[in-house]
Amino acid sequence: MSEEAVGAGTGSLWKLSLDTWAVLVAFLLALLVRTGVFKHVPW
Amino acid sequence: MADVLTVPQVRPVQPALRFLRVIPGVLLLVVVGYAGKLLEQNVGAYAKAHHWTFPNIEYVLWAIVLGLVISNTVGVPEIFRTGVATYEFWLKAGIVLLGARFLLGDILKLGGVSLVLVAIEIAGSLAFMTFLGRLFKLKPKLTTLLAVGSAVCGVSAIIATKGAIEADDEDSSFSIAAILALGALALFTFPLIGHALHLSDHAYGLWAGLGVDNTAEATAAGALYSDAAGKLAVLVKSTRNAMIGFVVLAYAIYWASKGQAQAVGNKAAFLWQKFPKFVLGFLLISVLATYHFFNKDQIGALANLSRWAFLLTFAGVGLRTNFGELRKQGLRPFAVGAIGEVVIAGFTLALVYGASKIFGW
Repeated sequence: MSEEAVGAGTGSLWKLSLDTWAVLVAFLLALLVRTGVFKHVPW
Repeated sequence: MADVLTVPQVRPVQPALRFLRVIPGVLLLVVVGYAGKLLEQNVGAYAKAHHWTFPNIEYVLWAIVLGLVISNTVGVPEIFRTGVATYEFWLKAGIVLLGARFLLGDILKLGGVSLVLVAIEIAGSLAFMTFLGRLFKLKPKLTTLLAVGSAVCGVSAIIATKGAIEADDEDSSFSIAAILALGALALFTFPLIGHALHLSDHAYGLWAGLGVDNTAEATAAGALYSDAAGKLAVLVKSTRNAMIGFVVLAYAIYWASKGQAQAVGNKAAFLWQKFPKFVLGFLLISVLATYHFFNKDQIGALANLSRWAFLLTFAGVGLRTNFGELRKQGLRPFAVGAIGEVVIAGFTLALVYGASKIFGW
C-alpha cells in the first residue's frame, strides 16, 4: 500500500506539465545565479 | 506478492530511462545551436578578412537553417527525436528567464496595449478563419482547430482544443501540419517584410508577436530582426498564450451545446488547467528583478541563460520541420491556413501600424 502510494507520488511528480517543469527548472537556475553558484554565464 | 515485487523495481527506473532517452537529442540541439553561434562569429570575420560582401547572418538563422538542412536531407534519426522534441521545454524555460530583463512597469504598460491588440487579433482571426473554413467546406471541427491555431498559439492551442472538443486525430494532425508549415514560412518572410517597410524594433516586435502563430517561431522571427524586437515579440506572444484557456473554454461550451463534446464541469479548474504556467513564471521573475532581488551581474547571467535556452529552441525549430512530411498532409487545410495567415498577417500589420500612429512608436 505504501509502495503504491510512493509509486503514485513519483508518477504524479513526473506527470507535471511541460510548462510547470520549465518554470521549475528556470527558477532553480535563477536561484543558483542568485546564490552565486553560477557567478558568470558566458555568451 | 508479484505486484509488491514489481512495483519498486520498475517504477524508479522509468524516469531515469526517460531522462536517458532525451540525452542524444538534447546533445544534437546543443551541437546544431552552437554550430550556428560559431558560424555567426566566424563567417562574418572570414568574409571581412577576404573583403567579401556578405550579409551579417545572426546565430538564430544559422541554427534554424542548419536544423532544416539536417531534417530535410539526411533526416533526424529515431534516437534523437525524443530529445529534439524538448525544444518546447527550452523555449518555455527561456521565456521565464527572459522575465528578468523586463521591469514590471514595462510589462504592465506594454502588456496593457498588447492585450487590446491581442483581443482584436483573436476576435478577427477566429471570425475570418471560421468564414474561410465554411467557404472551403472543411469539416466544422477542423475549422475550429485551424481557427484556434491561427488566432491564439499554434500547436499548443490545437492540442488543447482537440481534447476539449473531441476532434479527430486526423483533423488535429492536418491543422498542426498547416500551422507548422506556415510558421516556417513566416520565420523568413516576416523579417524581410519588416525591413522592407522599415518597421521600428517596437512595431516589428509587436507584429511578430501578434502575427506568427507558434511561440517558437514568433520568438525566432522577433530575434531575427533584433534583440529588442525579440523581447517584445515574446511579451506579446505570451499575452496571446495567456488567452488560450478562454478561447478553448468558449469552443468547448459551443461544441458541448451541440452535443458533440462533453460539457465542461468546473470552469475555473478548466481555465487553470489550460493556462500556460510559463507566463506566470515570466511575470514572477520580472517582479523579482523589479524589486532588485537580482543585482546587475545576476540579471546579465539570467539573460545569457535565456539566450542559451533559445539557442536550443531555434535548433529544434529547424530540426523538427520536414517539408516532405508537411506536403503529405493535404492541400485544402493548408490552403485555408495559408490564405488565413496572409490575411491575418496583413490585418495585424494594419493594427500595429494604427497603434504606432496613436502611441508615436
